[in-house]
Amino acid sequence: MEKEGKMVTIYVMGKKHRVPAGLTIMKAMEYAGYQLRRGVGCRGGFCGACATLYRVKGSYKLQAALACQKVVEDGMYIVQIPFTPAEKKLYDIEKIRPTPNVFVEHFPEITRCLSCNTCTKACPQDLMVMDYVQAALRGDIEKVVELSFDCIACGLCAIRCPAEIVPYQVAQLARRLYSKYILGLSEEVEKRVAEVEEGKFDEELEQLKRLPPEELRKRYESREIRV
Amino acid sequence: MELPRWNCCGTVHALAKDDVMHHLAPVRVLLRVEEAVEAGLVDEPRVVTLCAMCYNTLKRANHLYRNDSDKRRVIESIMEKENRPYGGKAEVIHLLELLSELGWGKISERVERPLEELRVAPYYGCLLLRPRGFGVDDPEEPRIMENLLEALGAEVVDIPFKSRCCGAYHTVFMKEEAAELSYKILRQASEMGADLIALSCPLCMFNMADRQGLIGRLFRDFKGIPVLYFTQLMALAFGLEEEAHLEENNPDPRPLLRERGLWR
Amino acid sequence: MEEYPGYPEEMWDSLRMVEETRDERIGKTYPRMSEEERERILREWHPDYKEGAKRPLRIGPSKGMMVPHEVADILEAHPLITPDMIDLSEIDYDVDILIIGAGGAGLSAALIASEHIDKEGILLVQKLRLGDSNSKMSQGGIQAALGPDDSPVLHFLDIMGGGHFANNPELVEILVKEAPDVIKWHQSLGVLYDRNPDGSIKLSPGGGTCRRRMLSCKDYTGLEITRVLLDEFLNREIPYLEFTCAVELLTDESGQVVGSVLYDLDSDEYLIARAKSTILATGGYGRLHIQGFETTNHYGATGDGIVLAYHVGAELRDLDATQYHPTGAAWPEQIVGQLCTEKLRGRGAQPVNRLGELFVNPLEPRDVEAAAIIRECYGRELGVTTPTGMRGVWLDTPLIDIINGEGTIEREFAAMYRTFKRFDIDIRKEPILVFPTLHYQNGGVVINARCETTVPGLYAAGEVSGGVHGKNRLMGNSQLELYVFGRRAGRFAAERAKRVNVGKPTLKHVERYERWLREAGIETDRRAPILLPEYRGKKTLEHHIRLL
Repeated sequence: MEKEGKMVTIYVMGKKHRVPAGLTIMKAMEYAGYQLRRGVGCRGGFCGACATLYRVKGSYKLQAALACQKVVEDGMYIVQIPFTPAEKKLYDIEKIRPTPNVFVEHFPEITRCLSCNTCTKACPQDLMVMDYVQAALRGDIEKVVELSFDCIACGLCAIRCPAEIVPYQVAQLARRLYSKYILGLSEEVEKRVAEVEEGKFDEELEQLKRLPPEELRKRYESREIRV
Repeated sequence: MELPRWNCCGTVHALAKDDVMHHLAPVRVLLRVEEAVEAGLVDEPRVVTLCAMCYNTLKRANHLYRNDSDKRRVIESIMEKENRPYGGKAEVIHLLELLSELGWGKISERVERPLEELRVAPYYGCLLLRPRGFGVDDPEEPRIMENLLEALGAEVVDIPFKSRCCGAYHTVFMKEEAAELSYKILRQASEMGADLIALSCPLCMFNMADRQGLIGRLFRDFKGIPVLYFTQLMALAFGLEEEAHLEENNPDPRPLLRERGLWR
Repeated sequence: MEEYPGYPEEMWDSLRMVEETRDERIGKTYPRMSEEERERILREWHPDYKEGAKRPLRIGPSKGMMVPHEVADILEAHPLITPDMIDLSEIDYDVDILIIGAGGAGLSAALIASEHIDKEGILLVQKLRLGDSNSKMSQGGIQAALGPDDSPVLHFLDIMGGGHFANNPELVEILVKEAPDVIKWHQSLGVLYDRNPDGSIKLSPGGGTCRRRMLSCKDYTGLEITRVLLDEFLNREIPYLEFTCAVELLTDESGQVVGSVLYDLDSDEYLIARAKSTILATGGYGRLHIQGFETTNHYGATGDGIVLAYHVGAELRDLDATQYHPTGAAWPEQIVGQLCTEKLRGRGAQPVNRLGELFVNPLEPRDVEAAAIIRECYGRELGVTTPTGMRGVWLDTPLIDIINGEGTIEREFAAMYRTFKRFDIDIRKEPILVFPTLHYQNGGVVINARCETTVPGLYAAGEVSGGVHGKNRLMGNSQLELYVFGRRAGRFAAERAKRVNVGKPTLKHVERYERWLREAGIETDRRAPILLPEYRGKKTLEHHIRLL
C-alpha cells in the first residue's frame, strides 16, 4: 500500500501517470487529478457506473473491470466506458407473459449468440453471462434468473458481444416476469394488506401515538422479543 | 493508371479457411459432456441428440477438433473462461442409433399398441445421412428408421425422395421455393399410399408440416398429409398417448389415427 | 501453519485466536444491554455525543439546532449562484412536477405521479446516472410486518424505541401501515424477494426488531428493487435528464417553490425548470465524511437536498444524529468504509475482539452496536490495528455457514463474498475486519404525512427528509421509507399540480440567504451545495487553476 511508497505507472486514455500501488483504478484516477463526473457511482461494486476496459503492458488481452473494485497494475492502459449504447426495449409488464418465446420475440438478436463466451469473460461480477443468454434462447426463464441475479447492468457484456446482444436487458425482463407471473404475489402480503385496509391495527396504533413518552418507553422495553 | 483506394483482393483471408468461430459453440457442448463424466453425472462421455441438425453440427465439430490440430489449437486459445480444453473424448449419437444399439427386439417388446395397418413413410432429409461418415446410416440405403417403424408394427412405405432436401433455411427468404421442394416429397408419399410421414428434424417438420397451408395455396392439387416425429409414433405405440403431444401437430393427425383405432 | 493471504502477517496471530475460539462460541450470544447500559455507552462512545464535533446553526428557520461541523459548513455557506448570474426569463422546462433525484424515492414518486397526471408533465433530474443512489446499495433488506406473530403495531414500537422516541409518530404510523402494500406493489412490478422453500416470503431478524421482519433479495436488496423500478420508469417513457443537478430552487412572489435552476454536468450550462410541485429526493450526506469517518455512501451523497431546502426556508430536524453503520470494512484498504450488511449478524456472524472474545450482542440497535465496537477498539484497546493505523474488530462470518449450512454465504451474501474474494479474503473461512462507518442521515427536511415541507410547493421523500427515524434508524426502514414516502410524494405533488398556479420564478430567497449570512456575521468562501466530493490528489489541488 501507500505506506511502502511504491508507485506504479498507469495510462489513463493514453496519458501517463505515476500513482501509488494498491489504489483502485478509481482512486488512482482521482489521485492523478481527475474529478470524476461520469464513470463513478456507488464506489462499492453495486451500481455498474464505473465500467472500465484495460490492457496491461505486454499483453494483447483486453480486460474488463469495475474501476472502484480493481486495483491498478503497473503498465495498465485504462479507459472508462461510462455508457453503453443500447436501445431500451420497451414492454408493458402487465401485458406480456413468461412464454418460452418471450425472449426471442423481444430480443431476436439472442439467436445470433455464437457461444464465444466473451460476455462471461467481460463480466466483472463473474456471472456466466453466455450461459444465461443460452438459457433465454431455450426459454428457460428460471435459469436466466438464477444465473443473472447478481447483474449490476454495467454494460460490459454488451460492449464486448460480437453478436451485438445486450444480455443484461434480457436478464432484467426474465427476473421481472419470473417474480410477477411464476412466483406471483405472496399470500401473507395480500392478507396483511387487507388487514391494514380493514383498519385492524388502527385502534392500537392510535392508542400508542397518544401514550405519554414514559408509558411508550415502558411498552417498548417490555415488548417480547421473538427472533 | 492505378486504381484509387485499392485494397488487398482478400486472398490471404480466403487461404486461411478460417471456419473456426462457428465450431466454438459445439465444442463447448462436447466439453460439457466430458465435464458431466467428471462430475459423476454419467458414466460415459456420450451425448444423444434428437435433432438432425444438432447431430450433424456436433459430430462435424468433434471430427474437426480431433483431426485438425491447427484448428484445435485456435479453438482452445479462444475458448474463453473454461477450466480446461476439450479432450476430444465425447461421442455424439442420434437417438435412432441408441435405439438400434438397444436392439429392435427390445423395442418390439415394449409395444403395447402396434401401429398395425398404419402406412408410414420414413423421411430422413439431408443431415441424418450426409455427408458420408457423419450420418446415422448408409446415405444411399438407409434402414434405421424403417427398422424402428417395423418394430413398432407399422407398415413402411419406401419413398424415393426420403433423403431429398425439404428446403431447409431457404424457407426464411425463399419460402415458395422451399415449399415446392417439400411439396414434391409430400405428394410422392401420398401417391405411394402413405398415411403419414415420420421424421426427425424440426426444420424438416416446419417445412413439411407447418408450411402445408402455403403449399396448398401454391399447388391446388395438394391435399395435405400428417407429419409426425418418429418419437411421437413411439409414444403412441408404447401406449403413452399424453406424452405424444399430438395436439401440437399441424395438420392434426388425430382424426386419421382415431379412424385406425390408434387414438381414443 | 495457517496462512491468510488477504491479510498482513501482523494480523495472523489474532486471526488464529478467532479461529481457535470459534467452536466454543457456537450457540453462545452476548446478552443484550439494558436501556441504561445502552444510554451510557452511547453517551461515552457514540460519535454523535463526542464533544466539540457539533455546533449550533447560526441562521435560518432551524437556528440553534446542533449539527455536525461538516453539516453546518454547507448550511452556513454562500449559495452557488447569485441572481445576477442567471437569466430567469427563458424557461427551458415548464412542467407540473419536478423530481430531483432518481434513487428509490424519486423513481417511486415518478411512477406514481405518472398514474395521476400526464407523464409529459413530469421531469425527473438526476445528478449522476439514472438510478445511481444509496438506495441501490442497500444490501440487507426492507422491513414489513408480515409474520403471523408480527404486526404494524410491533413495527411501530420498534421504530419509536430505536429512534429514541424522537420520531414523528404520524410518519411512523404511515410507514408501518403502508409497508405491506409497498411489498405488494414491488411484487406486482416484478421484484424478486427471497422465499422459503414452501414459497412464503423469507423473513430475517434485524438489529432492534422484536420479530423477524426483514425481507431481502439476497444481499442485493436495493439493487433488485431499484433496477425493477428503473426498468418500469424507462418502459413508461417518463421524461428525465441525467448528469443534471439542481443547484438552487426557484420561488415566486408568494414564496412558494416553483422549480429549480439546473446545471448540466457535461456542458456546464444552466437550465431553468419551472414546476408546480417540486420533490426533493436527493438522499443524504455520507460523502461529507462527518468527523472524518469513511462512508458507505454513493459518490453523489453530498447533502445537496438539505442545502437547497434550507435556502428557501424549509425547516430541518434531527440533523444532530448521524448513523454510523456498526460494520464498515476496515480492511482491505481499497474498500475501507464499504458496507458489510447487518444481515451478516442476523444470520449468525458474531463481532469478536482481537482475542476472539464476544463483547456485544450482535443485534443491538445500530447506534449501540457501533458504540460498543468503538469502545472495544479505543476504550478497551482490544481491536486490531491495520497497517494504515485504522482499528477494527472481527466479524466472524464463517459462523454463518456453520450455523445455517455450507453454501449459505455464497447464496445469500453473494455481493459480500465477491467483494472480499477480489482481495483474496474468503469470508466463508476467514472473518472480516470491521469498524463503524458513516452510513445514514437520520434527520433531514421536516415533512408531514403528505410529504410537504414547511415551504409550499416543496415536497421531500427518502433520506433527505427527517422525522421518520428520529435519532436512529433501524435496518430495513430506509428502504421502506423510500417507497412509502416516495409514492406519497408523487401522489400529493400531482394533486397539488392540478390545482395551483405558479408565478414568475425568482431567486429572492438567495438574496435573503445572503442577508442572513451577513447578519449573523458569517464570513466564508464556502459555497454550497457542493455537488461532488473532492478526492483529487494534493498536488493537483495545489496547482489547480481554471482557464477555460
